[in-house]
Amino acid sequence: MQSKRMFKYVAALSIAALAFTACGGGEGEEAGGTAEGEAVIHAHGTEPQNPLIPTNTNEVGGGHIVDQIFAGLVSYNTDGSTELEVAESIESEDNLTWTITLKDGWTFSDGSPVTANSFVDAWNYGADPENAQLSAYFFNPIEGTDQEGNSTEGDTLSGLEVIDDLTFEVTLKEPAADFPDRLGYSAYFPLPEVAFEDMEAFGEKPISNGPYVLEEWNHDVEAVLSKNPDYEGNRTPENDGLVFKFYTDPDAAYTDIQSGVLDITYQVPPSAISTFQDDASVQAFAEPGSVNATITIPNYLEHFEDGEEGQLRRAAISKAIDREAITSTIFDDTRTPSTDFSSPLMPDYSEDIEGAEVLEFDAEEAQELWAQADEINEFTGTFELSYNADGAGNREWVEAVTNQLRENLEIDVEPNAFATFAEFRELITNREIDTAFRTGWQPDYPSVYNYIAPVFGTGAGANDGDYSNPDFDELLSQAASAEDDGQRAEILADAQAILMEDLPAIPLWNQDAVAIAAEGVEGVQVNWQNQPDYYLVTK
Amino acid sequence: MWRYIVRRLLQTIPVVLGSTLLIYALVFLQPGDPIVALFGEKPVSEAARAQLEAQYNLDQPFLIQWLLFLKGALVGDFGISYSGQPVADLIARTLPVTFQLAFMAMIIEAILGVIAGFYAGIRRGKIFDSTMLIVSLIVIAIPIFVLGFALQLIFGVQLQWVPPTVGSNTTFTNLLLPAVVLGLVSFAYVLRLTRTSVIENLTADHVRTARAHGVSDSLVNRRHVLRNSLIPVVTFLGADLGTLMAGAVVTEGIFNINGIGNLAYQAILRGENPTVVSVVTIMVLIYVVASLLVDLLYAALDPRIRYA
Amino acid sequence: MLNQTPLLGQERFVAPAVETEHPLAADVDTSQPPESQWKQAWKSLRTSWIFWASSILLLIVLVVVLFPGLFTSVDPRAADLSRSLEGPQPGHIFGFDRQGYDVFARTIHGARASVVIGLLTTLIVTIIGLFTGAIAAFFGGWVDTIISRLADIFFAIPLLLAAIVGLSALNNVWPNRGYWGGVLAVVFALAAFGWPQLTRIARGAVMEIKNLEFVDAARSLGSSKWRNLFTHIIPNALPPVIVTATVSLGVYIVAEATLSFLGIGLPPSVVSWGNDIAAAQPQVRSGDNLHVLFFPAGALALTVLSFMLLGDAVRDALDPKARK
Repeated sequence: MQSKRMFKYVAALSIAALAFTACGGGEGEEAGGTAEGEAVIHAHGTEPQNPLIPTNTNEVGGGHIVDQIFAGLVSYNTDGSTELEVAESIESEDNLTWTITLKDGWTFSDGSPVTANSFVDAWNYGADPENAQLSAYFFNPIEGTDQEGNSTEGDTLSGLEVIDDLTFEVTLKEPAADFPDRLGYSAYFPLPEVAFEDMEAFGEKPISNGPYVLEEWNHDVEAVLSKNPDYEGNRTPENDGLVFKFYTDPDAAYTDIQSGVLDITYQVPPSAISTFQDDASVQAFAEPGSVNATITIPNYLEHFEDGEEGQLRRAAISKAIDREAITSTIFDDTRTPSTDFSSPLMPDYSEDIEGAEVLEFDAEEAQELWAQADEINEFTGTFELSYNADGAGNREWVEAVTNQLRENLEIDVEPNAFATFAEFRELITNREIDTAFRTGWQPDYPSVYNYIAPVFGTGAGANDGDYSNPDFDELLSQAASAEDDGQRAEILADAQAILMEDLPAIPLWNQDAVAIAAEGVEGVQVNWQNQPDYYLVTK
Repeated sequence: MWRYIVRRLLQTIPVVLGSTLLIYALVFLQPGDPIVALFGEKPVSEAARAQLEAQYNLDQPFLIQWLLFLKGALVGDFGISYSGQPVADLIARTLPVTFQLAFMAMIIEAILGVIAGFYAGIRRGKIFDSTMLIVSLIVIAIPIFVLGFALQLIFGVQLQWVPPTVGSNTTFTNLLLPAVVLGLVSFAYVLRLTRTSVIENLTADHVRTARAHGVSDSLVNRRHVLRNSLIPVVTFLGADLGTLMAGAVVTEGIFNINGIGNLAYQAILRGENPTVVSVVTIMVLIYVVASLLVDLLYAALDPRIRYA
Repeated sequence: MLNQTPLLGQERFVAPAVETEHPLAADVDTSQPPESQWKQAWKSLRTSWIFWASSILLLIVLVVVLFPGLFTSVDPRAADLSRSLEGPQPGHIFGFDRQGYDVFARTIHGARASVVIGLLTTLIVTIIGLFTGAIAAFFGGWVDTIISRLADIFFAIPLLLAAIVGLSALNNVWPNRGYWGGVLAVVFALAAFGWPQLTRIARGAVMEIKNLEFVDAARSLGSSKWRNLFTHIIPNALPPVIVTATVSLGVYIVAEATLSFLGIGLPPSVVSWGNDIAAAQPQVRSGDNLHVLFFPAGALALTVLSFMLLGDAVRDALDPKARK
């Protein structure tokens, strides 16, 4: 009898399991059956880490969605050129005070009009430290903010003034000729009046004015976007809607592209990096891109202080790295070796920057430079390069770079891993990191200026290495008030020449803009932000 | 019996307190500033930092944070994640999926492991036994992030027997492959444990006696050998549910399942202490209940064990 | 129990011919005290080919761990990107991996970290688990309650999550650990949360045998409680513990691989099978150049196999009834 009882236990457990799965299945089908249609594009996304408030969205998961559902004063074309969108005109006499006039007739999806207040209130909200918005930094150029872009007095910025329903005025702290180009970034998007009543609820289901509207945010699963019938801007959707399916592992997304469950991804997993271009089951798109990778050696490290020794050593390290070998083997040519501090995609990119040959591999010269530095002050110990191990692919290239440095400079070089980005960034921000470390930049708006001013300007927000050079700062402010684009490009090239000499960061390569689409998907174009322009994709 | 159950339930209180304190201490010791991480490469102003720290109790000392957490947890309030959602919602969304997955894995590993271990044991040294040794070796020696990935590519992409990923569609068939993958390592444990016990029990006195009484081989094997061999297996399985749920970290990533293992892992990466601690608390509760059930099962399996 | 239900096959009352040879009472040598259980176990071990095969394998692994230089003179960290992913060839019999490392040199030098992690963790976990489990089951009462609940506190937190969190907490209090520091940190993290598994297994096994006849017999012969525990109960509770431990050994080595895959295991400067398996994972999709995965995983499998076989042989030797 005992044995029968035993088998009954097992049977009961199995039945429980079946019952359990059966009800699970029912739920799943319900959740999956939304917004299906032939021309709806399923794109790879990640669960947004913050509520979908433009000023509080600073990572790709939320960024993907916010960029599709909102329209700003200007919009960016695929190549990075700027076009007016909600704005009728953005004008200034002195590059300091800007008068912005809006087009009439724009509305949010709840029918309320897009007015000057929609922008000014949203920006004030974003800059208010009480709201602790993650993208507050973008308001830093505007009068009435501190270094971090938070308002210094109360909850309104002194640099913002509403003139009438369709006009407002922005006063900057310093002249900035490229101010209009910056205004397509998500932090500058407008918010409807209803948002301010309950921002938390708004962040769950935003009401917006962009090419799409958010139908449903099914947490951890997908975000369903449908076409906004009232949208008449520059980015008219070619498809009937977008569904961002959320993945935590890019491998799974790629697998779904292969089997046609997913239409498009912007990420190549390490497992497909050498094969995706020849994989018959997918379409691959790869072009030079805008995101760059650099190594920053803080100037408080011994042997790397400002001055001749530090300059020699930085140059030696730069010349000891065979970028070509790494991009072709570790990255299978999905990176392009850097030729400057920005990207060839930028409209003001310059091909010949004085001193750019420091980025070319030459082991002998590297050794020579290192030896010269040793004559000033002998190097002992280990040169370490830190990275965060939770970023896919970091480890592989850091290991390759350290191997090359060890081999070519004949010194001890070690990779140094931090488990999480949080840990890594904290040490950098507090200037407690005692090694060189990986850095990188994704431009907020298309201009060389955006690659160097926020990163290398004295006291600038992302100046992790505390670089400071008055000559460079002077050129930056000249560029900010340059008369025309041509002149500005020249000044920026001169500014980069200074950087080539000082190497506050050592440029490595630019990440190619990549998209992988399932068979039958058309209209894939990867834009200057290394993202596919989703509104153009069809199938 | 009832007195025993009540006493054990009372004993779970210090276990839950101890485990949450332990995990809280570990999480508190984590390097990294979650607020810096939130802002990415952009700078954080003092005012904004103070605002966020107050919001998530980060400005409180460690013990106070723990007590505040307990106070909330008692009434089902696990706090707010950095993405602005109640952690209780996150758990409610992800727990059923992982539970279903882990439960399926457990059933699969238990049934297959016991059957395979039983036959390997009674046919010790024969081909089946050696084959099972090789199988368990492969399963143990190849990490899940390789094996699971390979099985996904073979059965999902090449053969297309099952969908390669699960996503929101958590049906029985969709979860079958992930459950097999998840249960593989434990399957090896169950197999080896069952095999050992069977070999041992084959020579046990009561089995010999039964045989001497002329009871047929298969019946002796089933009735006496198998049943007595299940005790260490049950011990193992009872503790395994929690392991399976956490082991789901890798499996859930591979098959894109929105489960609690993945939730915990992502939260660790982001330094989201409230989420990490809440998930672990839930896992502790599940473990405690499972191990209580196991202790009761002992009594059913072995009449010599009695609880007063 | 047998009498309660009519049994199938009872009508064919023919006992199978199990012949147990009974040594003549006169042959028993009473001039010597009976051999200890351990001595008997060793006697039976000596005749087991499985024991010798696995021991030789383990000896080889041990030599590789201690003296990798005997097997290769290639620096496992010397990378030649121009030979990235080249297949096996003369002079480099296991080929090269993506970084251009010599896979043979990596496999040989990787043994040290991996085997030390597996062995040390298993050793710590088994010793703690065996004694806590045995004591809990043997003494019962409040001793059992305290040990069991303490084990629950650690075991309730799932091993992988605990190891992830524990390892990064260790980063904070113990940065820049170097080679052995890195290895020990992984051992600590796994052992700290792994021991209760063995405690539970040992406790279950002891509960099962503590009421058996021979234990009662020993007790009635005046054997002390502690003596009883060490000479009769623990040896007899060993089989499931040994089996679990030998499987766990493999699981711990692989856990290091998983932790490295997640980016928090061993630092990249430490050559280990786990690090290399994690680095080789991307090759699975295309199925090209699988040699980078095959060799470290194969070495790991062979090591686990020898421990499992050794565990089996030792288990057999300890079981007096299984002895021939």
